Amino acid sequence: MEPLGAATARAEFEVPPTPHAPLFRTLIERIDATRRIVVLDLGAAHAKTLELFSRFRCRIEIVDARNEIESLNGSADSRDLEAAVTALLPRVGPDPLDIALCWDLLNYLDRRALAALMAALAGRTAPGGLAHALIVYRESRMPARPGDYVPLQDFRLLNLGQSLAERAAPRYSPEDLKLCMPGFAIERGRLLGNGMQEFLFRRKAPLEENNDPRARTNAPRVKSKAS
Amino acid sequence: MFERGKKDEPGQRQGVEPEAAPWNESARGNAPAREAAVIGRSIQIDGNLRGEEDLRIEGDVSGTIQLNNHSLTIGKDGKIKADVHAKVITVDGNMDGDLYGSERVSIRKTARVIGNIVAPRVSLEDGARFKGSIEMDPEAVDAVLGKSQSAPKPASAVTPTIVAKPAAVAKV
Repeated sequence: MEPLGAATARAEFEVPPTPHAPLFRTLIERIDATRRIVVLDLGAAHAKTLELFSRFRCRIEIVDARNEIESLNGSADSRDLEAAVTALLPRVGPDPLDIALCWDLLNYLDRRALAALMAALAGRTAPGGLAHALIVYRESRMPARPGDYVPLQDFRLLNLGQSLAERAAPRYSPEDLKLCMPGFAIERGRLLGNGMQEFLFRRKAPLEENNDPRARTNAPRVKSKAS
Repeated sequence: MFERGKKDEPGQRQGVEPEAAPWNESARGNAPAREAAVIGRSIQIDGNLRGEEDLRIEGDVSGTIQLNNHSLTIGKDGKIKADVHAKVITVDGNMDGDLYGSERVSIRKTARVIGNIVAPRVSLEDGARFKGSIEMDPEAVDAVLGKSQSAPKPASAVTPTIVAKPAAVAKV
């Protein structure tokens, strides 16, 4: 696999794809509007995202991790990595998360960093809470930088930050993802028209997690391809 | 789309507004606004800032800012490191601290904000850089701003607030 940091120039400009995201739609439609929810958005703040969630009794935490996400890669020390993840995801309030919006950011993490980030999210997410992510699956290349996604009214996801340069994609398979995130179960996955796979991950209940041998240790049980 | 679970008509609902009001628009309606006091670019203040008139800050302020019944505008050159309490808060510049707006908080496209926002109405223009949280639960906003005695109901650790099946979509 080409190192995650290696980027090459894309030969020609491509119109930013705006795929329909049926699982994102499902996620929104499943929100109980009568109850308070806490949403964590790993992407940038956008008026349309806020407008969407303002219809609910909601607190939204905006991390805007696009510039810092790759700093998690390549860490040899698990404590350093854990500290870096904690710094990236400061806890704002006592309430557990109900929804985590990961957009395409997970593609920019090596396996060790991916496992650490998802372990931190699992620790903050209520059982049954959902994480949404877009994983590059069909193509071997992907934009050199994470996208900047905005949900449109018809549940297409508009990428405002489409990078012209590109790099090798890790192409995490569902099995890879299961290994990297024992605190979550893959609830649904769906291949989108742009070659990305859309996932909904569900935070496992404690009993369910305790029965999973992968979840019995904090240390990721996967090797980093980058290391 | 996005109509599901909608509580109010556009423009009436609490939460996010598409556009911010001009910085000097009166918080008391459409009456002509009195000109705000200005802290200029060369001014640096370190401490507690309180007032009973509208204020525009273009300089550096660290500490706390309380303009409980008035408007505060942080201009493009303003650099604030403080928790801010005001009726209407508009940010064009750099802000590091929490924003408590009893009526509205507007984050303009030139703003750089690190902090948490609590206000009945929040607007954020695309282009603004924001890291932090935005409280959009009316009960929680009222509780934090002291408008209500009821504290926000925490999400249960047992019962998820995401319903189990798509068939159980909430309808309002």
